[in-house]
Amino acid sequence: MNSNSDPQVLIVGAGPAGLAAARTLAAQGVTDILVIDRDDAPGGLPRFCHHPGFGLEYARWPYTGPGFAKRLLCDLAGTNVRIECRTTLIALRDGPVAEITGPRLGFRQIRPRAIILATGIRESHRGNLLVPGGRAETGILTTGQLQQLVARRIALPKHLKSAVIIGTEHVAFSAIWTARHAGLRIRAMVGAEDRIMSFAPLGTLARAAGTDIFTRTHLREIVIENGAPSAVILQAPQEIRRLPTDAVLFTGNWIPEVAALTGGPVMLDPRTGGPEIDQAMRTSAPGTFAAGNMLHGVESSGWCANEGRHAGLMAARYLRGEIAGTQGGHRLELSAEIAFLVPQRWDSTAEAAPVSLRVARDMHNRRLALTAGADQLWTGGRRNFLRKRRIVLAAAMGATGVTIID
Amino acid sequence: MNAQYDIAIIGGGVVGTAIARGLSRFELKAVLLEARPDLGDESSKGNSALMCSGLDVPAGTLERRLVQRGYARYMAEASDMGLPIRKVGAITLAWSEEQQRILEHELAAARRDGFTAELFDSTEIYRRWPQFGPGIRCGLWAPDEAIVDPFSTPHAYALDALANGVDIRRGWPVQRAEHDGKSWALFNGAERLTTRCVINAGGIRADHVEALAGYSDFAIRPRRGQYMVLDKSARAIHDVIAMPTPTPATRGILITPTIFGNVLVGPTAEDVEDRDDRRVTDEGLAQLRQAIATMIPALADHPVNTIFAGMRPATQFSDYQIIPRLERGWVTVAGIRSTGLSASLGIAEHVAALLVPYMFDVARKPAPKRINVPSLSETSLRPWQDSGRIAIDPCYAEMICHCERISRGEIRDALACPLAPQTLNSLKRRTRAMFGRCQGFYCGARVQAMFEEGRGVPT
Repeated sequence: MNSNSDPQVLIVGAGPAGLAAARTLAAQGVTDILVIDRDDAPGGLPRFCHHPGFGLEYARWPYTGPGFAKRLLCDLAGTNVRIECRTTLIALRDGPVAEITGPRLGFRQIRPRAIILATGIRESHRGNLLVPGGRAETGILTTGQLQQLVARRIALPKHLKSAVIIGTEHVAFSAIWTARHAGLRIRAMVGAEDRIMSFAPLGTLARAAGTDIFTRTHLREIVIENGAPSAVILQAPQEIRRLPTDAVLFTGNWIPEVAALTGGPVMLDPRTGGPEIDQAMRTSAPGTFAAGNMLHGVESSGWCANEGRHAGLMAARYLRGEIAGTQGGHRLELSAEIAFLVPQRWDSTAEAAPVSLRVARDMHNRRLALTAGADQLWTGGRRNFLRKRRIVLAAAMGATGVTIID
Repeated sequence: MNAQYDIAIIGGGVVGTAIARGLSRFELKAVLLEARPDLGDESSKGNSALMCSGLDVPAGTLERRLVQRGYARYMAEASDMGLPIRKVGAITLAWSEEQQRILEHELAAARRDGFTAELFDSTEIYRRWPQFGPGIRCGLWAPDEAIVDPFSTPHAYALDALANGVDIRRGWPVQRAEHDGKSWALFNGAERLTTRCVINAGGIRADHVEALAGYSDFAIRPRRGQYMVLDKSARAIHDVIAMPTPTPATRGILITPTIFGNVLVGPTAEDVEDRDDRRVTDEGLAQLRQAIATMIPALADHPVNTIFAGMRPATQFSDYQIIPRLERGWVTVAGIRSTGLSASLGIAEHVAALLVPYMFDVARKPAPKRINVPSLSETSLRPWQDSGRIAIDPCYAEMICHCERISRGEIRDALACPLAPQTLNSLKRRTRAMFGRCQGFYCGARVQAMFEEGRGVPT
């Protein structure tokens, strides 16, 4: 492909979902694939997570983050997938038409036959979470920012010695790891819920390593002295606690990165904040597919790569004329206990996308049910349902809703 | 070192820099002294970013006169410096009969004083702005009110002053001042300079500066204002300056678009003890949320990008405190509480007129040098959209800050500027990088790397 002609497929985002989609498309015989990524190197967020646990569902091996990124790139060897970094999607229009800008391609419109969106997520920060307190020049970060500072070997200000981590999702434990490498002592982890959102053993390990874990606790205020944090004020059910710290690390509370989609033809699901898709990963914009964390907030990188693979497969079938480019299926009704369901729209596609579901609150010894109108089409076994944990579900033909029963 | 000046301006906020720019037009040797590492780093960085016509400033005050003059000059001169203006207009809302009477009275007063204003009934209000919550009786429409860039403005004034011969010293807190009957000696640690005349534009610390010369005509009574910046998607819902009918105590919380494309909510009005207490509080946030819920319910759950508090340098007096003490060569420019940005060029002109003819027998410079700052307005042509510019320098297409769409080229240019930012936050205000919805999640490390490289910090 020369840089002036439009590719057959444009993939936006060179993280696990985008790279897996590219590999699948190439394996399906699609030869003209352009992957753009706005960062200066491909691989996505795993590049900055130097601990194992990446790619498991996709590659059946617990790579480190950079290891998995490398594996996904190695998989592209011998294909003519072109990756263009430092290149940003500005807007998307019907067509599909993508407006992009980058130092090599310039500001231009491209008209591929299909687009796969895989733009990922970002963490909530202090402003999003409306945390009161003083005005800081340094010392208030997100994990993503800290990881990149460490990966790019940018030293933290010397006075930063200790940190408090806000949030208890998986990423919060990843943040402990990174913070240690940055020379920070983690004094405590703070979460509003009554348990840590990640796996309980990780909490035990963190405690053993000297990090206090406060659950059912809110961050009330960040105390600032001389432009940097000096303490946090924590509100527990029974008490208010003042904890000295030099830094505050906000983790998790993921937000899909969909800024370039504002005002465009891709309809978003208010529950996830990401694109609404059907089981062929098609968005409401014809010829435009989506995969990975932009669909649902944080899932494991292996899961995202699997979604990317499915999107690649579906896009290849669309290019061969085997399936339509327009979104199909019907939106499932979700009961109040369900936080979200991806894909949101189901139809009778034989090769169904991985289905991911989250509940809105912790529930014990209950059953998941698929409904068809007033009837129950399928019910699962009794189990516990925990917030912010993936609940896998097999799609069933004819389902119109999902609920929790008993 | 013993540099000698005709005039030393203490304080590099929007007022001090405007005065420096004004005085740079004369054949004078002037210096601007700022205590902080960067200019515009106190009150000037935390305000509503409005360019007010003066309509809602009490008639007969010096403040009204200088805001009106400042507005006229800003409208005439800002674009020559590259500073953007959007005349979006302001609507003041009334829910009660009493508020309606106040607005009717204000309309009559505004027309009498020559301002353009109109009273809209509720039908017209909801026709124009369907986003407003229920119960509005009427509103006073002031089409001349505008939004501007509060960060680039003092920077542009300072660059202009610098280009026209004013020395600018940042990180130069004046610790001591001595008058020998003819001139002032100002001290910062071991450094010393002498000047015939001092202008105190010390803003939030103007009373401390006054004390150096033995004056105590006023005290700074800091008034904190808390703000919320809503995500850019809010501007599709709301794109006009909206505020409640003012009470004698406060102008109230306004909801306004910003020149950067966000929607700003604030300020609260709280008298605080400590002038450095720029805390955001639960109570303040609750007030802001209440204002949104009442005025624009559709924005009630809109994502918030950042929260902050600014400090108004008010005094115990309601009007500006501009006091020329020509016999000692000390001019005080203080109590510029909320309207400093709007009045800045009016204040600069006023101060020059008070001072120059009486103390200095100097001519105006024939042709002042022109400067230009990059427009950070969301509605102007952004560098990434400018194919011609990208063709010459591809750095303008390499996005570093993805949320605000700020390129490597823009950050590089800001770092190469003669008044280069000394802190990361100052770079942020200069370029908008890290100002967006992710607040540095994606770009923080890369921006910091560029900043440190630009300052010669080994990485």
